[in-house]
Amino acid sequence: MERERSDWDRVVKTLQWAIAGVFVLFVGGLIIWIIHLIRTAWRLGDVPSASVGISLVAIPVFLVLLGVVLYVFWGLLAHQREE
Amino acid sequence: MVDHKDDYEDILLAPIAHTGPGFYWAVAGLSVFILWGAIAYAVQFHQGLGVTGLQQPVSWGFYVTNFVFFIGISHAGTLISAILRLSKAEWRRPITRMAEVITCMVLFIGAGQILIDLGRPDRMLNVIRYGRYQSPLLWDATSISAYLTASVVYLYLPMIPDIAVLRDRLKKRKLFYSVLALGWTGTEHQQRILNRAIAIMAVLVIPIAVSVHTVVSFVFSMTLQPMWHSTIFGPYFVVGAIFSGIAALIVAMIVFRKAYGFEPYLKPIHFRYLGQLLLIMALLWFYFTFAEYLTGYYGAEPEEMKVFWAKFTGPFWPFFWGMVLCNFIIPLSCLVRLSRRTIGKVLAASLSVTVGMWLERFIIVVPTLSFPRVPFPEGVYSPSWVEWGLMAGSFALFALFYLLFTKVFPIISIWEIQEGREVGLKEVEERLLTYLPDEAEANILEASRGR
Amino acid sequence: MALWGMVIDLDRCTGCQACVMACKAENNVPAVGQKEAGRGRIISWMQVLTETDEEHHSEKMRFIPRPCLQCDDPPCIKVCPVYATYRNPEGIIAQIYNRCIGCRFCMAACPYNAKYFNWYTYQKEQPGQNPDVSVREKGVVEKCTFCHHRLQKARERAHAENREIEPGEYNTACAQACPAQAIIFGDLADPGSEVSKLARSPRAFKLQEELGTKPKVIYLTEGEGGG
Repeated sequence: MERERSDWDRVVKTLQWAIAGVFVLFVGGLIIWIIHLIRTAWRLGDVPSASVGISLVAIPVFLVLLGVVLYVFWGLLAHQREE
Repeated sequence: MVDHKDDYEDILLAPIAHTGPGFYWAVAGLSVFILWGAIAYAVQFHQGLGVTGLQQPVSWGFYVTNFVFFIGISHAGTLISAILRLSKAEWRRPITRMAEVITCMVLFIGAGQILIDLGRPDRMLNVIRYGRYQSPLLWDATSISAYLTASVVYLYLPMIPDIAVLRDRLKKRKLFYSVLALGWTGTEHQQRILNRAIAIMAVLVIPIAVSVHTVVSFVFSMTLQPMWHSTIFGPYFVVGAIFSGIAALIVAMIVFRKAYGFEPYLKPIHFRYLGQLLLIMALLWFYFTFAEYLTGYYGAEPEEMKVFWAKFTGPFWPFFWGMVLCNFIIPLSCLVRLSRRTIGKVLAASLSVTVGMWLERFIIVVPTLSFPRVPFPEGVYSPSWVEWGLMAGSFALFALFYLLFTKVFPIISIWEIQEGREVGLKEVEERLLTYLPDEAEANILEASRGR
Repeated sequence: MALWGMVIDLDRCTGCQACVMACKAENNVPAVGQKEAGRGRIISWMQVLTETDEEHHSEKMRFIPRPCLQCDDPPCIKVCPVYATYRNPEGIIAQIYNRCIGCRFCMAACPYNAKYFNWYTYQKEQPGQNPDVSVREKGVVEKCTFCHHRLQKARERAHAENREIEPGEYNTACAQACPAQAIIFGDLADPGSEVSKLARSPRAFKLQEELGTKPKVIYLTEGEGGG
C-alpha cells in the first residue's frame, strides 16, 4: 500500500515539475527569440531602436510571469514534505 | 455546515460529474459549423486567397475584421476579473472564472484569424525567423503572446483550490487533477502564497491587456490611409474591446446559467451590475466615435471625406447606421432601467452590442480600403462562402472550446464563493466601519458641544 | 552610388498603355483571365490611372501612368513583418517573393496602391516567358521593380568588359516602349542625366507629396504648369 502511494506520488511530482520546466523553456525560448530579433535588426541596420525598445518592456513582463509561476510551484510543491 | 458545502458544491460540480444529452447535441451542432469552416479553409489553402471576395484594392476583409473582433472580446476577462478583484467588489465571485476562460479561448481563435488570412501560411515561421520589430504585426505577436501567457496563468492560479476539490471528490481523471492541483491542501502557508501570486497577476494583467488592443489598433493607425491614421485609435479600440467583452461575457453567463441551472449563483443583481457597466461602456464608446467622426468631418480633407460619406450615406450606410443602432440606441433603451426584467433586457442589449461591435470593426477595415487616395478603380467587397464558413467555424470553435472547458473544470469558482460566504461578509463590514468617522473624533466633538 | 528614378511627362502621355503591355511582357506579369479581371484582381505593375477634372467632367481626362513610385521613405517597408520588401542602396524597393508570407500589410499601407497580390497561382513556368524574371506563385505580393533584372544584366556586362555602366544602358521596359517618349528613366544622383534635369523642371510635381513618402517617380504637369 505504502509503495503504491509513493509510486503514484512520484509520478504526480515528476509531472508537476515537468510542467514548471516546460514553462521555463517556453519563456526562455521567447526571450531568446526577442534577442535574436534585436541582433538581426542590429546587423542589418534596420531600426534597431524599435527592437530594443520593445524588448525593454516585453522581456521583464515575461520574466515576472515566469517568476510568479515558479513562486507558486515552489511554494506549493517544495513545502509539501513539511506537512 | 458540512452539508451546506456538499450541496452547493454538487451544483457546481454537476457539469463535470454528469453529462446529459444536451451536451452531445450542442457538440454535434457546433461540429457542423466547424466542419464548414474546415472545408472552407482546406479549399482556400489549396487554391489560394482567390476563393475569398478580396480584391484590389480591398485586400483586407472578414478575416482581419474577425481578428480585431475576437481579440477585442478577450478584454472580458481582464476587466471583470482583475479590476473587480483589485477593487474588492464582492459581486465578482461567480463571474471571474467565466470571464477568464473567455479570454483564454478567444485569444486562440483571434490569433488563428491572422493565420487564416495569410497568403502563404506555410511560411508563418518566417515571422519568427525574420521578424521586424518596426512592423505593428510583430508588436501584435509579442503582445498577444504575453497576454495569452498571462491569461492562462491568471486562469490557472485561482483554479488550483478548485482542482483540489475535483481531485478529492471525483473518481475520474484522478492523475490529471492530482498533477494540476499542485498538492493543495488549503493550509495557511499555501493560501498566503496563492493570494500573493494572484494579487501580482491581477495588477500585471491590466497593462498587458491594454497594450494588446492598442497594438492591434496600431496596425491601422500607423498607416497613412484616410480615416485610419488617427491618434485616437489606441484608446478607441480598448474601449470598444471592453465594451464587446462585457457583452460576450453576459451572453455566456446567461447561456450557461440556463444550461447548468446556475440560477442560485448568477442572480439578477449580477446582471444588473454588469448591465450598468455595459451602459457606461456604451456611452464611452459613443463619445469616442463622435469625437472621431466630428474631427474628420470638420477638417473636411477631401480623401477623408470620400470615406466618411461612403459610411454615412454611401454604399456602407446600412453597416454604419446598423452599428449606431446596435451599439448605442438599443443598449441605451434596454439598460437605462434595469430594476425589472433585468436578465431579458441585459441579454437583448448584449446580443445587440455583439453584432454592433462586429459591424464597427467591419466599418473601420473595409471602407478605407475601398476608396483609395489615388484614382485607382474602386472596389466592392463581397465576402464569399469561404469567408462566411470560416467565420461561422471560428465562432463555433470558440463555443466548443468553452463548452469543453466547463466539462473539465468548474466554470464557477467554488472556493471563491465559499470565501465570500465565510470571510467576505466580515471583511466588507470591517471595511465599511473604516469609512465612518473615528470614535475619538466623535468623542471630542461631543465634549466640545457639552461645554 | 546611383539613385534610380523616373520622370513621366503627363503632357506627352496619350494613355495608349504601351508601357503597361511592355511591363507585363517583360516581367512575366500574369494575365489573370476575364473572370478574375471582373472580380477586380488585375495585376498591373505599371497601371494608367485616369482622373477626370471635377469641374470639366467630360472635357478633360488626365492619364497618370503609375509604376511603383520607389519612395525614399516607403510606408510599405515599415510595416512588412518579415523583411520581404526593403529599400536597396540604389533606391529600388525590392520584393523577395520567397519570404513574403502574404499578409498584405504593405498593400494596405501603400498610399499609391502600387502593390498587387497573387490571389491564385495565375501561371506556371513555361516557354515564352522572360527567363530573367521569376514566376510568382499564389499568396505573395508583387510590384514594379524598375526592371531590376535589366540592371543586373547591364552590371554584369559592364563588369565583364571592365567598365562602368554607361548612362542609357539600363532602361526600364516601360520607358523603352513609350511611343511618345513620355517616360524618362535614369540616375537621379547624376546631376547631368536627363532625369535629373527634368526633375528640376518648374513643371515637376510628386503624387501625394504631402505624405512625405519622397517618391522617385516625378511627374511633369501638362501645359506650362498650373494648367
